[in-house]
Amino acid sequence: MSIPAVSITNVSKRFRLYRERNQTLKSAIMRGRTSIHEDFWALQDVSFDVPAGSTFGVIGRNGSGKSTLLKCLAKVYFPDAGSITTNGRLAALLEVGTGFHPELSGRENVYLNGSILGMQRKEIDAKFDAIVDFANIERFIDQPVKTYSSGMYVRLGFSIAIHVNPDILIVDEVLAVGDASFQAKCLEKFGALKAEGKTVILVSHALTMVEEMCERAAWLDRGRLVHVGEAATTIERYRQSEATDDSDVQESG
Amino acid sequence: MRGLKELLESRDLLVNLTLRDIRGKYRRTVLGQLWSLANPLAAMLIYTFVFSFILRLQPDRGDPSGLDVFALWLLCGLLPWAFLSNVINQGIASIVGNASLIQKVYFPRIVLPLAAVGAAGFNWLFEMAVLLIALSIVGAFVLPWIPVLLLVMILLAVFATGIALVLATANVYFRDTEYFVTILLQIWMYLTPIIYPVSLMRTASADLGGLFGTSVTVLDIYQLNPMVHFVDVFRQLLYDNRWPDPTDLLVCLVWSVASIAIGLAVFSRNQKKLAELL
Repeated sequence: MSIPAVSITNVSKRFRLYRERNQTLKSAIMRGRTSIHEDFWALQDVSFDVPAGSTFGVIGRNGSGKSTLLKCLAKVYFPDAGSITTNGRLAALLEVGTGFHPELSGRENVYLNGSILGMQRKEIDAKFDAIVDFANIERFIDQPVKTYSSGMYVRLGFSIAIHVNPDILIVDEVLAVGDASFQAKCLEKFGALKAEGKTVILVSHALTMVEEMCERAAWLDRGRLVHVGEAATTIERYRQSEATDDSDVQESG
Repeated sequence: MRGLKELLESRDLLVNLTLRDIRGKYRRTVLGQLWSLANPLAAMLIYTFVFSFILRLQPDRGDPSGLDVFALWLLCGLLPWAFLSNVINQGIASIVGNASLIQKVYFPRIVLPLAAVGAAGFNWLFEMAVLLIALSIVGAFVLPWIPVLLLVMILLAVFATGIALVLATANVYFRDTEYFVTILLQIWMYLTPIIYPVSLMRTASADLGGLFGTSVTVLDIYQLNPMVHFVDVFRQLLYDNRWPDPTDLLVCLVWSVASIAIGLAVFSRNQKKLAELL
């Protein structure tokens, strides 16, 4: 097989759970320490490869470490152990419209947000019309963003992000935005990305979506990797385990 | 080195963030950018009224320019000070204020404080341009000194950036920093010869003589304040229209280099942890 798009090797991430967190100078001086904490491992020894050109799903319940893994991939967090190697330009869609300034116009915000996501000015110039067109807000592009409806806001943010045109796109459940026709448009765009040989990593609770779109999937539980492989097999095993867990609860309750 | 390359790649981002700060600030105001002149003008009127009209403070005439206008003499020190204070205040808030951005997207974090410096610098340039025009009207010959002036302005910007980087990092750990610094800045301002001439300090120090039987005078300690030298240099260039004292210039240079070196070291050691700490 060719070089993987993303290769995650023995990644661990620790958070500190503060029983007492002294973010004021007074307490730091009086106690002579800034905190009392316990370690909590959000990710433990996770390793897998994401093949280039594939659509890859990451599933697991709340608190399983999905979002932490995602933030590590996006370089927002840095793993305490292990390493992540990526081949190609990576863009993460953790939130749409990050850094929008409400008083500035849609046009100014496209440039601002685009550069936050790592695009150069010339690149945005070239893609500007496509971005506005995709978001379907031509008439309002010179209005301040604070006058936008939440739908328009999210569409514009999503449209910018998707036009970054990365080799690897990481998406965190943002597909739940917009109305049905916009969602269809997004799915179509993902299809197009895939056809171009781009890698998409999708993090979601929505098993049906992962099932439909992804070829491979990884299942995380309490910070550990449980299974990685064909999407269908992973999801099948995840469903089974959820079912047994549910019956456990019923029995004990 | 890698950091520098990354910073170069994100210069578009730096420009856009700076523009966001500049454009967003005075949106929907009638006076717009003119508001940035309001603060220094109000300060100028108040200080001139109190210190020149009531207290009869008289700074030396400009030498060789021959100027004798308290308000302009004041502004030559006040505008650089206001810039420093703006950079520090906005720089401190830049990391905590953009927490949502830092927690969602990766980019070199240093562009946030740098954008604050850029926005404050833009206002300062505007103010200094107005001051230069005013000085020219009353007869100062400032034009030939503009290149040196720009150089010293860059030095002050570098000095201010270093301080802002350290304090912005500290503010993530201790939110007290922001409030603490507001008070410190006030003290610092009165320890700098902005609204009174340094000659008054010299007389007071000479009257007192050496401290605790040593030859160290109050003035010696006073001059440890880098801003004393910066303000001196700005006055020599703008108000006196002559070459700045080489010792003053050297002191400014040394402080700037030290400040930015410490600032960069502190910031780069902590920048990976920022997303978690916020």
